[in-house]
Amino acid sequence: MASELSDWTGEDVRLADVDRAIGQLRAATVTENGQPSLRTSVMTHIAWVPEGWVDPARAALSGMAERHPSRAILLLPEPNAGADGIDAVVSLECYAVPGVDREICSEVIELRLRGLRAKAPASIVEPLLISDLPVFLRWRGEPPWGAQELDQLVGVTDRLIVDSTEWDDLPFPYRNLAELFDRTAVSDIAWARTSRWRTLLASLWPDVASVGVIRVTGTRAQALLIAGWLRSRLDRDDIVLEHVEAERLEGIELDGKPAPFPPGDPPIPSDVLSDELERYTRDPIYEAAVLASLQ
Amino acid sequence: MSETTAQHDNPLLEGLSFRRTPDPCALVIFGASGDLTHKKLMPALYSLAFRQLLPPRFAVIGVARTQGDDGSWRKEMKQAVQQHSRDEFKQDVWDGLAANMHYTATDFADEGGEGKLEQLVEQCDKQANLGGNRVYYLAVPPPAFPTIVEALGKRRSATGWTRLIVEKPFGHDLASARELNKMLWAHFDESEIFRIDHYLGKETVQNMLALRFANGVFEPIWNRQFIDHVQITVAESIGIEGRAGYYESAGAIRDIFQNHLLQLLALTAMEPPIDFKSDNVHSEKVKVLKALHTPGPKSVVRGQYGRGFVEGEEVPAYREEQDVASDSMTETFVAAKLFVDNWRWADTPFYVRMGKRLARRETTIAIQFKRAPHPPFEETAAEGLRPNVLLVHVQPDEGVSLAIGAKVPGQGMTIRTVHMDFLYGGAFRIGMPEAYERLILDTMLGDGTLFTRSDEVEEQWLLVDAIVAAWQRDRPAFPNYAAGTWGPPSSEELLRRDGRSWRRN
Repeated sequence: MASELSDWTGEDVRLADVDRAIGQLRAATVTENGQPSLRTSVMTHIAWVPEGWVDPARAALSGMAERHPSRAILLLPEPNAGADGIDAVVSLECYAVPGVDREICSEVIELRLRGLRAKAPASIVEPLLISDLPVFLRWRGEPPWGAQELDQLVGVTDRLIVDSTEWDDLPFPYRNLAELFDRTAVSDIAWARTSRWRTLLASLWPDVASVGVIRVTGTRAQALLIAGWLRSRLDRDDIVLEHVEAERLEGIELDGKPAPFPPGDPPIPSDVLSDELERYTRDPIYEAAVLASLQ
Repeated sequence: MSETTAQHDNPLLEGLSFRRTPDPCALVIFGASGDLTHKKLMPALYSLAFRQLLPPRFAVIGVARTQGDDGSWRKEMKQAVQQHSRDEFKQDVWDGLAANMHYTATDFADEGGEGKLEQLVEQCDKQANLGGNRVYYLAVPPPAFPTIVEALGKRRSATGWTRLIVEKPFGHDLASARELNKMLWAHFDESEIFRIDHYLGKETVQNMLALRFANGVFEPIWNRQFIDHVQITVAESIGIEGRAGYYESAGAIRDIFQNHLLQLLALTAMEPPIDFKSDNVHSEKVKVLKALHTPGPKSVVRGQYGRGFVEGEEVPAYREEQDVASDSMTETFVAAKLFVDNWRWADTPFYVRMGKRLARRETTIAIQFKRAPHPPFEETAAEGLRPNVLLVHVQPDEGVSLAIGAKVPGQGMTIRTVHMDFLYGGAFRIGMPEAYERLILDTMLGDGTLFTRSDEVEEQWLLVDAIVAAWQRDRPAFPNYAAGTWGPPSSEELLRRDGRSWRRN
């Protein structure tokens, strides 16, 4: 269970104020024996959270630091707000370590980027990145392809995590996404959620190799990615996709025959995100599936 | 096309992550009513079931002399899991495991005992389609080994694989270890024998390999040029916990030094293996053990605890423990200065100490580096400065810390030693698996990397026999240290002679 130390809040701040606040909050964690809480981090976790995504983003982040001790930076862009400026809320989330009288504390920095400040986010996060550790960028909603803020943040990121289930007009945005593959590794939560089904389909080898029509009941993103995956892995462009809309992946038929349901329960959202935070390299199978989904 | 070839050609498998899942098998535990089964084996099996790491088709068969049946054993094991498991108790997980648990009360010394077990195992195999795969776990005292091993060897399953887990102590000396190996080899191939040293299943022990061979910064300085000496401490604050029968004949040197401690030393000193295949790792460890110089009598200290205080509570002397002889000469503490005579470590001492009823429970490996050649500070400025130490905490507080010198803020230049800590539980917020979970799973998977090979065991005994032989010639004045301290004064003297001291704990 996390204990949250009192926040520091500032309006129209400079990053030096944020740094100082982190230091002060940390100093306040010094225990009676003079030992500060442990600062153990495995990454910097940035989340770009446009209006409308704030609550889900906070919910997904909640408890993530316990599993992946990290500095979390939530960027809340408000390009249409009146005056330019940055408002900040800084807090420490601390977790007990069994058998040790010290806690692990992770910093959560929430920055509201008003006006033009939302246009140059890389210059805002760069001073706050933890040196030498990987940077993960979780982008809620569909990224503004070609926009300066996306371009900048991708430039400082080792891995971009999106959920293409959150996008409209699929598969067209995949073309834009594919343009980023050479710049950063990409994780897609929608793809991760198909993992159990892909394992199941792989177990149907070699019969699955001759499939002509695949009917997927699930989100549009999941249907496109599974079809793209089969096309790319089997090196065939003649596999026809039929899609039945559903909120989650509920079933797959191969040439009219239902595939068996994969064993186990589907992973909960925080587990899916948590797994993606443990990947560090490009996923060529996903990239090929994205490109093949455009066929 | 065979099934294997077909899967090998399956392009859909690429990129999918698969857990290492063992083949279906039956695990037969000899000593099913014993302490080890209660406290370690069954909780480990439950934790594996909890994480769905057991084979999809699996059976556990308990064998012991204690009267009982499936129902009574399941009840007993359920209590053991509830009491000792690191995971919360979930009825559905337990039910899944317990449904395939069976018990047979039998004595292998009796006629018919073997047949009864064989019948039960075959019945389980048939019911669950286990393919004849067997893991036999000898959680029994060594005198029971020959009868069981011979019976198992004679009645091997005609299909599937067979693996045998042997608990320590593996012999009492070199001769008995060789005899035991000979007896095992008469019925099992070396690749089928898994000699457990549970220390090797600990995450932090394995982390020693990661620390050394995954970090370019350490290996270039991991040698006599940069390291002043190494200290390995395996300290327990508990006494013998009612195990006088075993401990009186084993002592600290056979209980800890011969296995855990020498394995920690081997992992610290070994050369990088060419890969992580079991045999290559073992071969590098054997080279270290072969290179260990037999210490002379002045380089070994032994001790036995007298009365004292542990955590504020007065505790009895070793000779006052139940079933211990009042004039016992069994050592409960050993410290030694060892040398690994090879190119990397020539003239670099490895100071080791282990014992019972010491000041606290702690297992650490401390790599003490040489001092900076010419610190340009005034003498007083660096009074608080100690040499850099890389400290691997095996237990408790699993992790690694590096002691470095840092300037004290303020006027002038004052240097103090500070610690940079990596705490396992802090960076990786997942429960640390118990050593037995990893080792049981590895056995089912046929991976012997974290077990000890016969030649390792024999080299370990060779050294112990040489040390013990010298002890026959003198009779120390036991007890020579108070419970709750860090051992006899001669242990401190062992390092003081070299101008060093034990790490301040």
